[in-house]
Formats: sequence, C-alpha cells, structure tokens
Amino acid sequence: MKAVGARLPRYDGIAHVTGRTVFVDDVRIPGTLWVKALRSPSHHAKITKLDTEPAERMKGVHAVVTHKDVPLNVYGHLSALGIPGDEPLLAEDVVRYKGQPIAIVAAESEELARAAVEAIVLSLDEQPALFDIRKAFDPDAPQVHHWGNWYPHFEAEMDRRQIRKGDIDAAFDQADTIVQGVYRPAAIEHVPLETQVCQVVPEPNGRLTIYSCTQALYFSMGVVAAHLQQPLNKFKFVGGTVGGGFGGKVDTATETMCCLLALKSGKPVKWRWTREEEFLCSSTRAPWHMEIADAVSKDGWILGRKMLTLHDSGAYCRFSPYGLTKHSFHHTGAYTIPNLSFDGYVVFTNRVPTTAMRGFGVTSVSFATETHLSRIAEVLGIDPFELRLKNANRIGDTSPNGVVYTDPSTVPTIQAIADSLGHELPGEYRAMTPAQREGQWLPDHLVSQLGNPEEH
Amino acid sequence: MATHKGRGVSAIEYPTGMNQNGDPSQAWIKIKPDGRVDVFAGTSDIGNGSKTIQSQIVAETLGVPYDWVTYDNSNTDSSPVCTGTFASRATFVAGMAVKKAAEKARERILEIASKELEIDPADLDVADGEVFAKGSPQKKISVADVAAAATWTYGELITGTGAQLKPYAEIVDPETGRVDLPPHSAISYAACAAEVEVDDETGQVTVTRLVSCFDVGRAINPTLVEGQIEGGAVQGLGLGVLENCYPYYPSVEHRGAQFGSYLAPGMEDLPKLETLIIENPSADGPYGAKGIGEMANNPQPPAIAAAVYDAVGVWVTELPITPERVLRALEAKAEPRREGKLVSFDEELSVNAIGGGALRFEVSA
Repeated sequence: MKAVGARLPRYDGIAHVTGRTVFVDDVRIPGTLWVKALRSPSHHAKITKLDTEPAERMKGVHAVVTHKDVPLNVYGHLSALGIPGDEPLLAEDVVRYKGQPIAIVAAESEELARAAVEAIVLSLDEQPALFDIRKAFDPDAPQVHHWGNWYPHFEAEMDRRQIRKGDIDAAFDQADTIVQGVYRPAAIEHVPLETQVCQVVPEPNGRLTIYSCTQALYFSMGVVAAHLQQPLNKFKFVGGTVGGGFGGKVDTATETMCCLLALKSGKPVKWRWTREEEFLCSSTRAPWHMEIADAVSKDGWILGRKMLTLHDSGAYCRFSPYGLTKHSFHHTGAYTIPNLSFDGYVVFTNRVPTTAMRGFGVTSVSFATETHLSRIAEVLGIDPFELRLKNANRIGDTSPNGVVYTDPSTVPTIQAIADSLGHELPGEYRAMTPAQREGQWLPDHLVSQLGNPEEH
Repeated sequence: MATHKGRGVSAIEYPTGMNQNGDPSQAWIKIKPDGRVDVFAGTSDIGNGSKTIQSQIVAETLGVPYDWVTYDNSNTDSSPVCTGTFASRATFVAGMAVKKAAEKARERILEIASKELEIDPADLDVADGEVFAKGSPQKKISVADVAAAATWTYGELITGTGAQLKPYAEIVDPETGRVDLPPHSAISYAACAAEVEVDDETGQVTVTRLVSCFDVGRAINPTLVEGQIEGGAVQGLGLGVLENCYPYYPSVEHRGAQFGSYLAPGMEDLPKLETLIIENPSADGPYGAKGIGEMANNPQPPAIAAAVYDAVGVWVTELPITPERVLRALEAKAEPRREGKLVSFDEELSVNAIGGGALRFEVSA
C-alpha cells in the first residue's frame, strides 16, 4: 500500500496514550543532584553585592555557579544570521527582568537547593523600569538595554527593519479613502504540559550526556558548546521526544547551566522547572503594537499600505530581530499591494524576554492586517469575501520584497470557505483562479509590480 | 440584554522553512539483513508527529511497509544535523532530507537486486517490500532477500545519506528589504470563518464554529494534518478570546502563575470545528508537501474579531477579546475620526497618543 497520503497510526501514539513514553523527567540516574536558581526579584536593578559563600558552605550543596564560572557568558544564539549576542547566561552587574537567573546551585535535594538559593546574599540598587513600548522612544524613558531601548544592529547598522516598494505617496494621493487602525495582540504562554527540564550526566570518559527537552538538538548543542568553549564531541544530547514546545523550547533555557553544575560538582544534576517558573520566568509569545494606514479605492482595491510595528522583545533580543524581519516580509498577508512603506522596531522592555511561538512574527501581522481588511470592507460597504478575492495574490505578483509568487492558493481557499458557509459569490469571483492577472483583475496600478514566474 | 450572533472571515499565508533559509537538515538510513529499515534523523518530535511523517516518507520512497521502518531521533551521536523543529520545517525541510537518504538506499537495493535477478537496475521497481521487473512483475525478489544477499553474499551494508539546505537569502538593500534569493521555500495558504455569540450584558464571547481551509501541498498523513489544524484552531481561539500573560499590559502586575489563573482553552471551549484540505503541491517539498504546523493558529483571531463586530458592532483590536474589553467597547461605542478621506480608528492606542513624540506614525490624508 502507499504510505504517503495514508492515515497511518502515529509512530509513538500507543506509548504516549498509555503513559509509557520516556520523557526527560522520567529518566532516573542514581546520585543525581537537584538544581535551583537564584532569580532576580527586581524588574531592573544594578547588582551591588553577590555572595554565594553561605550557600557553598552548606552541607549537601555540591556546586554554586555564577557568571564567573561561564567560559563565554554572553553568546548570540543567532550570530550565524549576523545578530550579535546581548544576553548573559547568568546576570553579571545588572538584572533587566524579574526572574532573570543570577546564580544556580546543585544540592542533594530540591528542598536543600531551595534553601541554598535563599542563603545567597544579593544586594540590588533598584533602577526605573520601562514596560510600554510606545514610550521607549521618549527622551526621558528609562534605559533598558546597553544597546539603547531598541535593537540597533539590522543590516548597515540600521535601527529598524524597513520595507519600501513602489510609490507610497502617489498611492495615498490617488486613494479615495484612507483607513487607519491600531492592533495589539497579547503575550501568551506556550503552556507545554512538560515544563522546562534537563538532566546532565558527567561520563567517565569526560563527556557530558544531556537529556534535553529541546525542540532543536543540534541548535541547543551548539549553544552549550559555545558557552562552554568546547568541541561538539564533548556532548551527547539525548532527546527528540518533547512534551509540547510551541517554540518555547528552542531557548535552551536549562542545558548550559546544568552542564556547568555537572562539571563543577562532578555529579549528575537535574533541573525541573516548577509550573510557576514556567509561567513567570520562561519566555512568552511577544506582545506587538501595529499601526496600519491603507490607501484604498472606492471599489475596493488596496493601492498602498503604510505600517509601523513595535515588537515587545522583553529585556533581551533572543530571536526577535529574526521574528520582526519575517513579520515585515509578510505584512501584506495573502494579498498584492504594490506600494508599501513599512518600519518595524524591536523594542526592549523590563519584562521576561519574548521568543518564538507558533506562527512567529506572522501570527501578529495576520491578526492586524486581516482585521484591518474586515474594517475596510465595512467602511467601503463591500462584501469581505469579494474584497479579499479582488486583492488576493496571484501567480506572477510580487511580495513585499519583490519575490514572485509562483503557486498562491489564496483564491481557492477563500472560495472553499464561501462554499462551506453557503455564501453566494458573484460569477466573476466564482470563476476567479490564481492564474496570472488579466482583464478586470489587472488594473493599471498593479502592472508595474508584476514579475516573471518562470524566473523563479 | 441579549445574545447576538456574528460571523467573520480571514485569509492568510505563511512561509515554510526558516525565513531567509540557510537551515540544514540531514538524515541517514541503514538496512538490516532482513530488509528492515533504520532511519537516523535529528528532528525533535514535539507532538507535531514528525516521527510518523518522516517514517511514511521513507516507507514510500523505499517501497517497503510502514511498519518495517524504525525511526531514531534520540541522540546526537547517531543522528546528524537537524536545525530544529520550528519554522514549520519538520515535514518540508527535514522530510526532504530523509527522502533523499531513502532514494540513495533505494538505488543500492536496486543495484543488488539487479545482480540477483540479472536485470538492469533501470528496469526494476520496488513496492510493498518487493523488487520487481517493470512490465513483468512475476520476476521479483523481496527486499528482505536483497538485504540478506548484501549482507551474506556481497559483504555490503546498504545505506543512504541525505541533506537538504536552501542557501541563505541576503537582504541586499536594507532600505527597501530587497533580497538576493527567494527568502522562503514554499508558502502555505489558509482561509477561515468564525461564528460567535456575544452576550451584551456580560461581554462574554463564545466561539461556536470555526471553518478552516488549508492548502497543505500534500497531506502525507491526513489524520495528522487534521490534528494540526484542529489543535491550531483551538490555540487560535485562545489567542482570540482567552489567553494573556499580562492582563493589564503593559503593566507586569497580576500575572497568572498557575493553570487556575491563566486561561488556556479547555475542552469546554471547543467550538464546532470543520476542516477542509486543499492540495496544491510545492515543487520543493517531499511529495509536494508544505508545512502548516504554525499557521494553524493564525487565521482564527482576525476572523473572531470580525465576527464580534458583526454581532455587536464594535471593533476590539487588542487581544484577547475579553468580556471587559467587549463591555468597555459597547459602552464607548467609539466612532472613527473622519477627516477628508481619512477614516481613523483606535487613535487613543496610537504611539501618537501615548508616546512623547519622538516616534510618530504620520499619515498624510
């Protein structure tokens, strides 16, 4: 029988539903020490004193690690994409969000590890905090980050992601109506059933075995190897079966710190985040702020779009510049808009760093642009299906950065939804296909954006 | 006081594989002496079903039953590079790596079968665990016998390796965002309709029906595709009406720290779900497949927002659309500012209203 296209049973489905799948927390290694972290109680503060000696002196505490123990404390996870590092593995002189790890301990029980964390002496000099990305640009705004309040390292050291296409001013001049709105989706938690968890075993041959819930074994191994300044064959990552991730387990939140404690103590260590840590200290989906103004004709063509996006990155950049770039590349959604002016900023605030989550960079822009289209339909008094079909991207149209669409399915997916709701479409919309534009679907304003689909 | 019904629609697109590409995946395969297949790949299965999908691709490519395939992604000593399970790439990119590895192993199987059958490998095909002559399928040898011959007669190990990598697309003009190569490998598309009931006394929005249509390129396993779409729909419902880390954003106070104080969708929130699948194959994906894992939660929030407007005549553009926000909007009944040809909504939320003036969103009407 054919395997592709078949409704075959999930490879590990029986094991999952009978509770026999081995996740990281099911691994049992004798002699394992338990890990807890001293986390910042403040949203923004200078560290004036950090004394771990009282914890180190406690019986049953085998290792305490601070930034001084990390061979490379600041490592850029996206250095391969030209995004420099900014986030310390363990805080040095400043904490920028509540929950930021400052020191970690390994002890013979979770209770003892918790007591050791409490024994560490920490003094802070509180600093003003910034939470509203719309105020980050104010001259008197609290300074969140050593790079400033927004990411300054896009190509050519630009401080924003820009898209420019066509002639935006002409489009707004020609418009019959300009529809403007503001869209603000929230931060949400990934809520994996399996919280962040890691077990590290120092092997007799000098290697480290890392039982990891990472979504990306090799990526996380690269991160650990860089922080520890060791070659890849020092490590064996064991994993590949993850109890829910949704993007939050790309962060490599526990692995490096567990390796440092295992090396310092010479014993196996395990760190299992509580549900409270998962909710309050793990990264979240980013909150976004998007402002859109669309230049439209009275018969429903979108002639131009002007857009400002502020991406709330939290205290460090993690994957945010990547997410914002992806966002900008898709800010016309499933439509062709020939004249564009987009500016996007990755803005720092004193909240937990935000990270990738299902639909990274695009979930936000889909909400903003699609709600905006529904509003345009309402303002113009046009059927929302027809407005969408009219502006739908077609073969040979070009994307915001000039790439030719070769196989868009916007038209058939919208038609299928109309059919399933019993929504009657006029004949010319019913007959529409994704094929290259012609006739009434190729008005003058869409001619100059056309590309050649054969060239791609 | 009454319950009002409303309906909204949306249409979206989403790229498959990392934006700007440059994200490799690799795999290798070995065949046991009885023809059973060991696949080694580094792709984490986060519940998305990548072990299943990649095993199906290998079974199809090799022409052996699905249950002959053992899939090992358990560690980095035996499995090669996979950039990771994100960017909707586990089927599209990593699935291509296992397909290429299986194609190489298939070539070796046919070469050894060719010696046993004394038929040119180009004239052989393989299906259901048997190698046979094209046009005269009675001339055949089982893959198990081929593997045995490789092991015991020819002293060979049948293997195959595969790697998939699209080159990184540089932004060559940061002023305009122009790139030197396509920044995506394939784009998937979806449309969605949401039906809601809004209680104008409590502000409660109940999503009663979500109809989704996705272009998946090719459904390698329709059951798992439907699972992704249904799971995504419920997560999109959470984005739309329930979930929020910071209930008083941008304030960081009153964060929920447990399931009881953070509203994630539960079974009681499940609306009627209807799923339609379109297959518009991608030239770059395994058997035409695209990736839809992530985008599955993208079309619902805007369709819900439009449905709420349809029901009670207010636009709530801050998510989630909570009872409090609905009631405040109903109380305010805000009209857009109309000036010349400008129709401007939500001005109280703008950087122009909240910021100190250093950054403004300027639109000349």
